[in-house]
Amino acid sequence: MALDNIPRLGCGRSIDSIWASIDRSPTAHEEQCKQCQTARIQLERLSAATRALRESDLHDPALRPRPGIKNAIMDVARAEVRRGSRILLRAADNGATEISEQALSSLVRFAAAAIPGVHSRRCRIEIRPASAGLASEDHQSGTTGTATPAGPRLIVNLRVAAAPGIDIPVMAEALRQEISNAIPAGVGIAAGTVNITVEDLYDV
Amino acid sequence: MDDHGPGFEPDLDEGSIVARAQDGDLAAFEHLVLAYQFRLFRLAYRMLNDRGDAEDIVQETLTTSWCGLPMLADVDAFGGWIFRLATNKCLDVLRKRAARAESILGSDDMDAIPGARASPVWAGWDPAHAAEWSAEQDGLTALLNTLPPAQRACWLLREMHGRSYAEIGVTLKISPAAVRGTLARARHQIAEGMSQWR
Repeated sequence: MALDNIPRLGCGRSIDSIWASIDRSPTAHEEQCKQCQTARIQLERLSAATRALRESDLHDPALRPRPGIKNAIMDVARAEVRRGSRILLRAADNGATEISEQALSSLVRFAAAAIPGVHSRRCRIEIRPASAGLASEDHQSGTTGTATPAGPRLIVNLRVAAAPGIDIPVMAEALRQEISNAIPAGVGIAAGTVNITVEDLYDV
Repeated sequence: MDDHGPGFEPDLDEGSIVARAQDGDLAAFEHLVLAYQFRLFRLAYRMLNDRGDAEDIVQETLTTSWCGLPMLADVDAFGGWIFRLATNKCLDVLRKRAARAESILGSDDMDAIPGARASPVWAGWDPAHAAEWSAEQDGLTALLNTLPPAQRACWLLREMHGRSYAEIGVTLKISPAAVRGTLARARHQIAEGMSQWR
């Protein structure tokens, strides 16, 4: 495909520059130049037809896929659903306890939805095992949900978009509080660390 | 706890919806499917002039996007990315059609075969629907179908879908300046064609 090969009229003006100015009144040159006038009339007609086609296609019920298409797409997505990694809460001789990262993320997002002016985005969750490692089993942790330093603690990394003009430190603190309360209440383990990254400001 | 996450709020910005879909949130992905399926269908239908082929493009594009989503670095690039996937799938279908036509006709010179590059003007035309359609739009879509595929894609992405020069350039693997040139030639050719009417 040739670069910059823009069609030009005999008078030297490019089709492009006429197209760019058809919404404005004609220039002194265009008033005089027959070729420009002809091109202008053609392009004005094209512009109107383009607009009409855009509008009618947009509202034409015949220009939509059949409803089954959406369902077929969602069936594939559901079959290949990504649960993310699983987080090991407790490992012992009599059995291990794991929770899916996605289940925890849902809990985090639900908590975040309570704070106005913030939209939660991606969420990564890791776990710091009980201080002495997985082998020594602390019988208090895992079941009681107390935030003892010895028990396993979650590290939540949440990215968010904030409303413009919001006080980010205040928002982040409220968000951290909300998440720190929701996790032990929901799954019985402490949210040791809640890292919040404001990655974007969304348009209100 | 269900798959959708109880915290899904329908008034989210698109970037946040994309980010949640990246994390595997089905409700967020469904929202994206609903937001893009009609747009992608209009693009594919105007490229291919065939409902079935256009539906296949919509389905393949959005299904592919579910698997590719976690790799998307910038959530705001979702729209451009999904249009790029769909456009390239359309161009593939047109290349296959042209190759089939070539093998049937046994000619090396594609330009010599009428309709091999451009789709037949009235392909996929629904007579029941025609009555509501103005002659001017008829003519425009007919002229559109005489453009080479990449030029047609360029025109549709810009004029029907408002995509940026930079984005169209990435899709067609040409520079933004070349997108401008391609668009100008497409407009020129359509405008010339329109001037022959009546």
